[in-house]
Amino acid sequence: MPEPRSARRRPPSRRAVLTAATAGLATVLVSTLTGCSAADGGTSQGVTLTFSWWGNDNRAERTDEAVRLFEKEHPGVTVRTSNSDFGSYLQKLATQAAGGGMPDVAQLDYRQISRYAGSGALMPLGEAIGNKTIRTDEIDQQFLRTGSYEGGQYALPMGRGITGYAYDSALYAKAGVPTPQPSWTWQDWENANKKIAALGLKSPDGRPVTGANDGGGNQDVFETWLRSRGGQLYASQTRLGFTEDDLAEFWAFCDRLRREGAIAAAEDTTQANSTETSPIGRGLAAADFTWDAPFPGYAKLLGESTHFAPVPSTNGRAGSYFKPSMLVGISANTKHPKEAAQLIDFLLNDPRAGDILGFTRSTPPNRVIAANVSKTLKGPELEIYQYAQTMEKYGLAAPPTAPPPGDLPINTAFKRNYQRVMFGLATPRQAARELIEEANRELRS
Amino acid sequence: MRTLSTKAPESADGTTGPRAPSRRRRPVREKQWPAYVFLSPWMIGAGVVTLLPMAVSLYLSFTDYNLFDAPNWVGLRNYAEMLFEDPRYWRSVGTTLLYVLVAVPLKLILALGAAMLLKNLNRGRGFYRSAFYAPSLLGASMSIALVWRALFNDGGTVPDVLAALGIDTGGWVGNPHLAVYTVVLLTVWQFGAPMVIFLAGLQQISPDLYEAAALDGAGPWRQFVAVTVPMLSPVVFFNLVLEIINSFQVFTPAFAVSSGDGGPADSTLFYTLFLYERGFTASHMGYAAAMAWLLLLAVGVITLILFRTSRSWVFYADEEGR
Repeated sequence: MPEPRSARRRPPSRRAVLTAATAGLATVLVSTLTGCSAADGGTSQGVTLTFSWWGNDNRAERTDEAVRLFEKEHPGVTVRTSNSDFGSYLQKLATQAAGGGMPDVAQLDYRQISRYAGSGALMPLGEAIGNKTIRTDEIDQQFLRTGSYEGGQYALPMGRGITGYAYDSALYAKAGVPTPQPSWTWQDWENANKKIAALGLKSPDGRPVTGANDGGGNQDVFETWLRSRGGQLYASQTRLGFTEDDLAEFWAFCDRLRREGAIAAAEDTTQANSTETSPIGRGLAAADFTWDAPFPGYAKLLGESTHFAPVPSTNGRAGSYFKPSMLVGISANTKHPKEAAQLIDFLLNDPRAGDILGFTRSTPPNRVIAANVSKTLKGPELEIYQYAQTMEKYGLAAPPTAPPPGDLPINTAFKRNYQRVMFGLATPRQAARELIEEANRELRS
Repeated sequence: MRTLSTKAPESADGTTGPRAPSRRRRPVREKQWPAYVFLSPWMIGAGVVTLLPMAVSLYLSFTDYNLFDAPNWVGLRNYAEMLFEDPRYWRSVGTTLLYVLVAVPLKLILALGAAMLLKNLNRGRGFYRSAFYAPSLLGASMSIALVWRALFNDGGTVPDVLAALGIDTGGWVGNPHLAVYTVVLLTVWQFGAPMVIFLAGLQQISPDLYEAAALDGAGPWRQFVAVTVPMLSPVVFFNLVLEIINSFQVFTPAFAVSSGDGGPADSTLFYTLFLYERGFTASHMGYAAAMAWLLLLAVGVITLILFRTSRSWVFYADEEGR
């Protein structure tokens, strides 16, 4: 230490400069290192948890509110939240998990569970559930199993979602289409679309109004269609459950309706990247296939005449099923497993959190909270709650097992291959063949 | 150290000529190692954030690494799959080549044209140079790409203006035949960077040459062909190499225009976008790494070919008479 000081009086020797430079360099390195550890949140004052999820603004606002309440109840615990849209969320989380920097608490998609649990990225929750840090008594045991992998519980469902159909009831009435019932069929759906297109209405930009968004590129719609005919997407973690014939038939059906002008035009479907920019959002279609949780967003955007109905059936057999709309898990690398478990328990089981969160993640898995919250629901949120009850009573086939990790690229391949059909770049059969080859490659690896 | 450092220049003397020894007599070598110390931040950076990841990526390209499980060696399987099994790989190569072949010449022609106009402009040259250069600064950003998407959407400015002129294109973004050209136009719009280089090159050309050409009766076009083009050819070559290398790596605009999936129907599936999708959506990091190495190889080969052919069309004034 005294050396640099004495060097000030005399002209500095080369050695002194070098020492100073090396020391300076070392400080740079050391300060970056300490910078790293500070960012990791290991401060002595309190515990900092990181929590990430995907979702729209409404969900973000309410989740933040619930988290602030949690912080108030647990002095010394700070929760840093981050959210993004679904597409980039999965990629971001995968990268974080690979680098060992996964958030302490993370919202997870159903198709992530097997890979994250299987590779040891998630902390087993058995202990936290065993000592009641996370209470699961009020969650349906069968539904709870969606978060398990090879016998261990790795994640907990945050909501129970179901597919449905958002439609403009005013347009349906005008076209003389009866209100869709759980038993309405794909044939009824075809006729409804044709009747609406036949009204000859014009959208704000002067183009014809069609019956519905084109669901051909939507894997969820295909799955519902397939299940209504008794099929399934995956036979196992490594094998598809449908054939080229199934897919070619579905795509030929959508392709024909689109060519006839009964459902939205190709360009309008492909340029959409949100509900606002999709045909229904732009006044070019009267209906869209969607999930229950996002439906209140549709009603807000499109007005009060928008209602929620079942996806068409095949001879009365419904293809929809209850699916964990999202799950939540804890990183295996967390430094604060206890606080992370407390946060999950709070989000799932605290009645006040339940009131704040409402149905932003579909029906809450905790039965008591779901029943409580349902009393205060109104408008579109009440509608999706009643819809779920109606469908439960109507009778739905058992849900499939968790999709394989390869489902993620297969999902995007589905959309892409149907786009080739829409623009005449491939016939439904060619596109179906290409999708199946691609899917088999994904499932093999 | 000392004997070695004085000996080394001597041995080089014989080849470099009589003036060399006097300049090289100072014992330079002795002081070289402090230089390395001062360079070390850069060298450590280059090693840790460039060379090491490159080596790891080369290794990963021979594995089935999926971000989650430990990588398993699979030999050339990734390379074989992309070259012989995956139709989308070749589709992405086709899209990228189309883009490079259309965007690069257009951009360079526009850059040269603008530079020619600005060269003779006396008032306001600084302003126009900055104004034309501005898109190159902004263009790489995500926000501009999003604005671009909105401009070419159905109901956006460009299709509306074209429709008013009687050309009904519909939205470009949702149309697989037009979507790629929104990206091309976004790139061409950023012609300012090569323009500035062209402008500097044009100002280097001696006015004597133009004067002599004019005395010989050459008109503006003849002057352009016989004086400007050959004198500017090193700059053209520089811009060409740079733009081609950059164009093969285009990512942000394609990502924004297609909302990240290379759509519609793979029409904007650029090589880098496909690489990203393989790596980060499908978690096939090994495959993505293999793609990156083939891209490096291909761009390297193309650059090499350019350098080879350059001997026959690039004219270096200072090499004249050798």
